[in-house]
Order: sequence, then C-alpha cells, then structure tokens
Amino acid sequence: MRNTLKRMDVLEAAEDLRRRTLSTIDRPLDRLIYLASTRDYNTGFYYHDGLASCFPQEVVCEALADCHRDAFRELVGLSLEDMVCQMDAYISSTNTNPGDFVAAWKKLEPYRVAVPVDTDVLTTDFLFSNFKIALAILEARLDSLPTVAPGAWRHPSPAR
Amino acid sequence: MIQLILFVTLGAGFLFSLYLFARRGSHVEGSAQDVFKARQALMALQSGLLPPEMVERIFAKSDYEYVMAGSGHSIRELFLAERRKIALLWVNQIRQQVLNLRQFHLGSARFYSRLSMRTETKLGFEFFTLLCICRTLQIALYLRGPYAAPRMVGRATAAAARVCDISEKSMSFVKAAQLDALGDDSVHKLSVP
Repeated sequence: MRNTLKRMDVLEAAEDLRRRTLSTIDRPLDRLIYLASTRDYNTGFYYHDGLASCFPQEVVCEALADCHRDAFRELVGLSLEDMVCQMDAYISSTNTNPGDFVAAWKKLEPYRVAVPVDTDVLTTDFLFSNFKIALAILEARLDSLPTVAPGAWRHPSPAR
Repeated sequence: MIQLILFVTLGAGFLFSLYLFARRGSHVEGSAQDVFKARQALMALQSGLLPPEMVERIFAKSDYEYVMAGSGHSIRELFLAERRKIALLWVNQIRQQVLNLRQFHLGSARFYSRLSMRTETKLGFEFFTLLCICRTLQIALYLRGPYAAPRMVGRATAAAARVCDISEKSMSFVKAAQLDALGDDSVHKLSVP
C-alpha cells in the first residue's frame, strides 16, 4: 500500500516536471543532458530544488530518474539523420565554436556520463556509437565549409 | 605387477570421480539462483534484445542509406564498423542469454515445471536451431558486415521469441516478486505451490 502511494507520488512529480520544465526543452538530447546534470556524480542521486519544495527528496529522485530514462529511450529511438540534427542544434544552442565543440566531444566523450544507471550494455553502446558517427559527420561538414576566422563562428559582430 | 597396476588405476579413477563430484558440489541443482538467472535471461531477451523497435534500429536500412548518400569514405567505413560491432554484440548477447535459459532447462526445469515430452522435444529443437542461427549470423556479420543477412536476423529474433514463450510458461509457477526476494539466496530451493 505504501509502495503504491509512493509510486503515485513519483508519477505526479514526474508529470509536474514534464509540464513545467521539460516541455520547454524540445529536443531529447537537450533533455537527456539537462536531466543528467541534475544527478550527483558521486552518489547517483538526482536533485531538483523546485520539485523538492513540493515532494519528498526520495520521490523527486525517482521522478527525475524516470524522466531521464524516457529521454534516453527517445534518443535511442531516433534515426541517425535525426541524431545528427539533434547534435547540430545542440551545438548551436551552446554558442561555442562548433569545431572546438566537436573536438572536445570526440576527445572527452562527455555523453558517456549522461546515460541513466541500469541501462543495458547493448542500448548504451548503440547510443554511444551513434554519437560517435554523428560527431564524425558533423566534423566532416565543418571541414567542407569555407574557413572562417577563429572565434567568428556564429557570433555576429556588434556592427551587424 | 598387473594387480598393482589395476589397483592404482582404480584408485586414480576413484580420486578423479571424487574431484569431479567436489567440483559440482558448490552448485545445487534446482536452486533459486538457477531460476533467478533464467528469469533474468528471459527479461533481458524480452525487454532489451528482442523488441522489434530495438532490432529495427540496429539494422535500420535508412541509417545505411543516409550515410552512403552523403558521406565520405572514412565516415562510411566508420559507420559500417560501428554497426558491425553493435550487431555482433546483439547476437552475442542473445546467444549468451539463450545458453543461460538452456542451462536452466537442462539442470533445473524438471524440478519445477511439468513440461510434456512433446514440449521438451520442441524446446530442445528450438534451442539447437537458435544456437546454430546465432553462430551462422555471427560469422556472416563478421565477414560481410551488419547488413549481410537481414533474413537471418528475422529468423533469429523469431526463434528466440519462441524459446522465450516456452520458457516463460515453464517458469510461470513463480512470480517475479518471489524471485526478487530469492535472488540472493543461492542454496534454498523454491517450493512448488
């Protein structure tokens, strides 16, 4: 009985999170990264101040973990073409130099810490593999573009 | 002299039998651990490896066409290598989980489930077919790449689903919650209701 009540609280908290926060983040890749950032790397627990003001911490943690798994599943289900679009849009949203971004992601592989715990090896490896290919495609696209001055990428000058 | 050799041979034979017996002693046939392991294998197959959407994503022709249409040689190579790696991982995992299920059926199922002779024979045949398909598929994927044998992928998935169905029925006597509780308990046998 207690478990059922707790589960209902988790569903309610997850719904609240989807309605208030996640609905403003369109892309599953952005949602995955946002939700992974709410997790403490040392403990694996998720924290969210807004939700914690309405629900117990245990419920908040499970709700965030549920939403994290949803975003992960959604991203795994995307085609490679969509994955490349997601990456491209994500790079644009970070306002960094795309070349630097791709180089850093290829080297550091930060997506490895963005997956939920307890996901199976095959699905996780499949997603990592898609990240790797998408980054290679984006890198090739950047190489084929005419060279621009360093730091000039997508940063319009004040004169414009 | 001949008698001595005979006695030494017999003694060595007994010692070897004792050694084999001692090695088997740590594992109790029909233990809760066996059922738990089989149930885990079944869940891994049904929820992770066999869902059509996952199989379709791994072997998606649309991804192949997308890469082949607008990418350079190095990206095509990378894509094919990555997909082959994932496809091989998929087959390996199916094979491993099927072996776990077979282990359960060979060693423990007789303690719990009352499968008919016909079902047992059918299951044995399905295990044999599936393991053969997995091996052939592994070779095909390794030698000719991830898109070499789409029909065989379908056959492997269908055969694995059939094995899962029969295994699930033979394990229906125990509920998942019971197994979770017994997961750590490797020595106690489950009581048949």
